[in-house]
Amino acid sequence: MADYDRRQGGGGGGGYNNSKKRRYRDDDDYDRRGPRRRFDAPPHVRIRKQLLSIAENPMRPWHEEVQSIATLFTDNWSDELLRVNFVELILQLAIEQPLKTPFLAAVVLVANTNKPEIVDSLLTTLVADLENKIKQGDWRDVKLYLKLLACLQNCLEGEGVFPVLDELFSRAVDLQTASSEDTIGTELVKIILLTLPYVMVAAPDQWQQKAADLMEKTEIIASEPHALQALIEPYHPESGEDASSSMSMIGLLQSQLQTEANSGWALPCLPRPWDFPSSEAEQQSRLATAPKHALPTIAFPKTVLAGPRPLFPEIYFSVYPNQEVESVPSTATAATSLIRDALLDTINILHYNRNVAARLLIEVDCYFAPRTFAARATPFDRLRDIEAPKSTWKPEDVAVDAVFSQLFQLPNPEHKLVYYHSVLTEACKLAPAAIAPSLGRAIRYLYRNVPRLDMELSSRFVDWFSHHLSNFGFTWKWTEWVDDVYLPDLHPWKAFITGAIDKEIRLSFAQRIKNTLPEAYKPLITPDKEKEVPDFKFADDRTPFAAEGREIAALLKRKAPDEEIQPVIERIHVLAIDNNLDPLVASTDVFMTAVLHVGSKSLSHVLAAIERTKDRLTDAGAASDAAHAQIIAAVMAYWSSHPGVAISIVEKLLNYSILVPSVVINWALVSHAGATRGEALAKAHIYELVFNTVMKVTGRVRQVVQKTSQPDVMVDDETRDRDVKAMRSLFRAMEDALSAWASGSKDEMIEAADGDGNSDTEKLVRRWGGRWLRVFRRRAAIEESFLLEAAKEKKPDSGDSAPAVAPAVAAEVDMA
Amino acid sequence: MRGDRSTVDRLDKPSAYFSNRKQRRRPERDHRDGDEDTNTQPEPPAEDPLKDATTLYVGNLSFYTTEEQVYELFSKCGEIKRLVMGLDRFNKTPCGFCFVEYYTHQDALDCMKYIGGTKLDERIIRTDLDPGFEEGRQYGRGKSGGQVRDEYREDYDEGRGGIGRAIQQAERLKDAERGGDRQAEYGRLR
Repeated sequence: MADYDRRQGGGGGGGYNNSKKRRYRDDDDYDRRGPRRRFDAPPHVRIRKQLLSIAENPMRPWHEEVQSIATLFTDNWSDELLRVNFVELILQLAIEQPLKTPFLAAVVLVANTNKPEIVDSLLTTLVADLENKIKQGDWRDVKLYLKLLACLQNCLEGEGVFPVLDELFSRAVDLQTASSEDTIGTELVKIILLTLPYVMVAAPDQWQQKAADLMEKTEIIASEPHALQALIEPYHPESGEDASSSMSMIGLLQSQLQTEANSGWALPCLPRPWDFPSSEAEQQSRLATAPKHALPTIAFPKTVLAGPRPLFPEIYFSVYPNQEVESVPSTATAATSLIRDALLDTINILHYNRNVAARLLIEVDCYFAPRTFAARATPFDRLRDIEAPKSTWKPEDVAVDAVFSQLFQLPNPEHKLVYYHSVLTEACKLAPAAIAPSLGRAIRYLYRNVPRLDMELSSRFVDWFSHHLSNFGFTWKWTEWVDDVYLPDLHPWKAFITGAIDKEIRLSFAQRIKNTLPEAYKPLITPDKEKEVPDFKFADDRTPFAAEGREIAALLKRKAPDEEIQPVIERIHVLAIDNNLDPLVASTDVFMTAVLHVGSKSLSHVLAAIERTKDRLTDAGAASDAAHAQIIAAVMAYWSSHPGVAISIVEKLLNYSILVPSVVINWALVSHAGATRGEALAKAHIYELVFNTVMKVTGRVRQVVQKTSQPDVMVDDETRDRDVKAMRSLFRAMEDALSAWASGSKDEMIEAADGDGNSDTEKLVRRWGGRWLRVFRRRAAIEESFLLEAAKEKKPDSGDSAPAVAPAVAAEVDMA
Repeated sequence: MRGDRSTVDRLDKPSAYFSNRKQRRRPERDHRDGDEDTNTQPEPPAEDPLKDATTLYVGNLSFYTTEEQVYELFSKCGEIKRLVMGLDRFNKTPCGFCFVEYYTHQDALDCMKYIGGTKLDERIIRTDLDPGFEEGRQYGRGKSGGQVRDEYREDYDEGRGGIGRAIQQAERLKDAERGGDRQAEYGRLR
């Protein structure tokens, strides 16, 4: 623990692995007992330090800080290293810590009054860099450079950044006219709209007309709902429920800015560190009369690229909507989008240091105009005491909301989900009293909405919730959901509770988790869950084939050769036929269960046992479909109380090709779901099993497709086509199985129907079927669009015709 | 200049463990003042053994943390290729560390960034990039079989067998000198 408490402070601090261990420290070199020797660091070191931590100290007035850095810089103008470093650092900070951009711009503006040359050299470097970013399709960096330029609008000649924005717009129009499914054009319009407000506060009252012209043009693109939007809606309203469709980020932004334009671009939330108090009128007038600089022309490449990340339309998501008191800005104000945008960039850029990301989030109020937020850590209940013109926006809520919007972004956020978990964990560690209550309210909101949340997202919620609790002693006020324990297992709330408790146990152990739960929940943790090793069913003589099961286990334990096992297997076959059972299924069940029993001590043990028996298992699977399915059935049955272990074993069996994806999917969605009359569809671990399997298949296809596009890698087109075909048929099989559940046409449902097929249970099962279906239709569509893009990229250089892309998901539902 | 140094430290850098080890193995070779021109040819920059590392050393685990728990947490950064639990050299029981191997370098880096320094089994765990597991490294290198850090540790750590084993042993000896009857009360291992 101590290792982590010695974090280095300061602007760039927060690393934990780079301090040498104490015992290597050489005390002769560094005597800490004497009075500390004073020395002044050279100016470039001081400037670096001050720029890195700019605006971080809320007690220091911005104009003072800006002025002192600018003065330190211009006073040391003769230092060439300093001049180069200064430009580099400003540009680097602008794309690494974009919350600080307006403050950096202010430093540059003040320096411009004294040494105008600095702006020219900054612009030259910036434009060269910007052109590069445009060429690579690095649209976030493009946006961040434009934000810096926008803040410098007042020291630019002519129309400043407007020509660049106009050029971006004409590109967007071209792209959108070429394809209605284009996402780059939308991205470009988003950049324009997010740059505009900074221009308007940097150079107030000059550009209203220009802005109005531009916004009139962006309107059509911004307000057009994107073709893919329906797929990535976070909510999946139940039939009959009002389908309040979510708002796209860009549509919101357009209308928010329109409102701003109508009120003269007040934009009260944006900081204006270039405005000096009246006592500094002289400085202010020097700023006004400082020299202006020409922005070098920015060259755009002929074709623009989507860049390294696939672009998807974005939807505004908040865990604090419609509260009695507004603790986050409402979607009507531009502050929502501007603050969210800056926070999202901060979060996603700083993935390599979650501690700093969390700190910047907690300090969000430092980087926006004073009085944008209520005081930090104001309890939600006290917000209603705040009187009218004062803000009720809780900085913690705004910060946490931004992280949740990523965690709940479809199809995927930029980084692995666990990154966003870790940011929330760190934020909670840094300021527990402020953050924890906000998380609590977020959890309650999400829980209330679990029934209508997209199923992929409710699964992410289970995963985050249990992981988060595991970092904080598993403490949660379970009592408030106690009534829901008595709901049927098919209810989404009950499913959430059981799923979350299971995941908690997987990160800890049953007894520990039981102790954190109120009495009513304890029956959910069955005695089997408290056993580390499951019972071996063949230990009980009443189980068919008990003797054979024990015998095989004993043979496996002493690593007997296969010849000794074969006779026992044959005995099972004979017995099974006598009892009218499928012999292959019977022997496979006995054998697989014995392997699991022998390997029950740990995953390493079972993997070693599988490794030794993989030939027999593979042969068993190849012998018949029923036997193949029995392999997974045996795993899921043996480890039914510890589904995490079962899922890991299935993953490894897939790697060995002992199991294949279609068998896993079929077992889950047809046999097991059928045997439980659909209740399996409500089980978090069944979803996890299927989802992981599908991700394995799609991951493999992506890898193969990417490899075939590299000429030097030996993956032939046949392999690719075969894998793509297998993936499509997997998605089709899922579509068939799930739409049968969703429509209630599944045999087991019809058999079970008591009356008109509209009992609560049947409705719930149909609803689960619908939720599953939506998730995997989306996955199928995403993979198809990936294949389409890959084919497009391949076409121009190789010349061979890309395979026609057939839609994987039949639009019509097979009701058979 | 740019790109060398980020404005924020990275959490996916390896610790000083391997670079220190390398230095200790080549003692004082480059420390000749002022005569760089004589036959000291600049060494070709050694290939960084961690450049493509897919393995992580994981430390500060509880002795009671299971493989399954490690799987559960570490799979959040990618599929695990292999997991090797650190064992006491003599008892072959877990002694508080493990090696996690991923399929890709990126997964290992992500694990450094997102999991190192967070809790597993309610302990803050430490992750470090590792050039790869080799047979023999699964055993503790402390005198009594566990990890070296558990020999002389003065704080009582319930998850790691109480106070350091060497200290426990010393106390047992002292106690035996005082009169052996109460011996069993002290420093008993769980």
